[in-house]
Amino acid sequence: MEVKDLKQLIKMITETDITEFEMDNAEEKIVIKRGQRTEIVQMTAAPAYMQAPAAMAAPIAAPAAAVAASAPAAELAGETINSPIVGTFYRAASPESAPFAEVGQVIEKGQVICLVEAMKLFNEIEAEFKCKIVKICVENAQPVEFGQPLFVIEKI
Amino acid sequence: MPRRTAAADLLKLLRDAEGMVSGELLSRELGVSRTAIWKQISSLRAAGYRIDAVPSQGYCLATEPDLLDEAVLRTSLGNGCLIGRRIVCCGETGSTNTDAFLLAEQGAEEGTVLLAERQLAGKGRLGRRWESPTGVNLYCSVILRPELPPYEAPQLTFLSAVAVARAIQITTGLQPAIKWPNDLLMNGRKVAGLLNEMNAETDRVGFVILGIGVNLNMRADQFPADLRTPATSLLLESGAPVSRQLFAVHLLRELDREYLRFQQEGFGPVREEWARYCNAFGREVQVDVGPNSLQGPFMGVDHDGALLMKLSDGRVERILSGDVTVI
Repeated sequence: MEVKDLKQLIKMITETDITEFEMDNAEEKIVIKRGQRTEIVQMTAAPAYMQAPAAMAAPIAAPAAAVAASAPAAELAGETINSPIVGTFYRAASPESAPFAEVGQVIEKGQVICLVEAMKLFNEIEAEFKCKIVKICVENAQPVEFGQPLFVIEKI
Repeated sequence: MPRRTAAADLLKLLRDAEGMVSGELLSRELGVSRTAIWKQISSLRAAGYRIDAVPSQGYCLATEPDLLDEAVLRTSLGNGCLIGRRIVCCGETGSTNTDAFLLAEQGAEEGTVLLAERQLAGKGRLGRRWESPTGVNLYCSVILRPELPPYEAPQLTFLSAVAVARAIQITTGLQPAIKWPNDLLMNGRKVAGLLNEMNAETDRVGFVILGIGVNLNMRADQFPADLRTPATSLLLESGAPVSRQLFAVHLLRELDREYLRFQQEGFGPVREEWARYCNAFGREVQVDVGPNSLQGPFMGVDHDGALLMKLSDGRVERILSGDVTVI
């Protein structure tokens, strides 16, 4: 399932009173559970699909679910800035430099707040709007998943 | 008189002269002081010109640097290419990657290539320095705007490594090895370093900058003593100087070809070609990520380029970043 379709699906479900949703077909299985405080989305590929030539689609689909899952959760815990790729999280440009962002710091729109590296590709993560850093969710040089929250922020 | 014109006029006098030209004659011809001539000579030397000076006789132009020329590069590449359809050469800059990033933010088209004779702040991974003396190596950054989700963009790391490996092979006949994911080695020493930077939103790539530094004609005495990893150059490995202009043409052609194939056929062919150069098959690797270190047999690369290594408990670990040492 495409990310946009998954987002659409979550949106449709959150607009109803449905607390649990399951969908199953030859290619994939989607489970969405809604609770009082958290919403969990799971998406697993069927074993047969994993062995198909298009097996690449399976591991890619899984993190897509994570990003969708973080969106509704964020509304409760404050907004988050999430990792756009699987990789390693860095709080500073080099081990000797000061971190890009500290808790309590006010960040301008477009300001770099961290780096995520995957296979020598560095992604500078910027704030998309002016905000205050409430929490840094990941320690320096730790692996992060696609869609994993890196910062909890407060929009200013 | 503007400085560049003065340098160009001085250069013309040195070129036209047969043998030595006295400082007095240069001073008279150019209408500037002998101190000014000396300053110009120093700046030409810094730009890679070898100018001999003999007391009481004058100056003599010994060798000219192999300068990168936009027009010549454009003509050599022809019109059919995407990579290099716009080329910007500059004498000196902080970092071609930083310049390319700014240009891309201002909307520079895909395939724009930046080249510099010298970098004052050449970048390596995690703030490390890339030694970038004048006129001897290749410092190059390429702007790409691939229609990819961000999590597939790291595949371009492998693409640029393959293009550099092929350009080295075409130019020198020697086969380099690639250390995961994209260090280029010759006899175990680093000959090229690649650093890519991405601008992306959650679901789409804005642009990717491929940063490519290749040690072409660097001499042993030009390497700093405190290098993290042993380094070499094509000159040191092959014994012959490499035309920087020609190397740039080969590199841009290979990048263009690999990028076109990547867009048409996906990551598969790049991964296969990369494996041909990989130095770790059948070996043990050590991976350092921050304070953590893992060691185990190299099991190849995953469908997305992740390094696969077997841990002592039999599990296969996927590595996405870190410093790799082949043991």
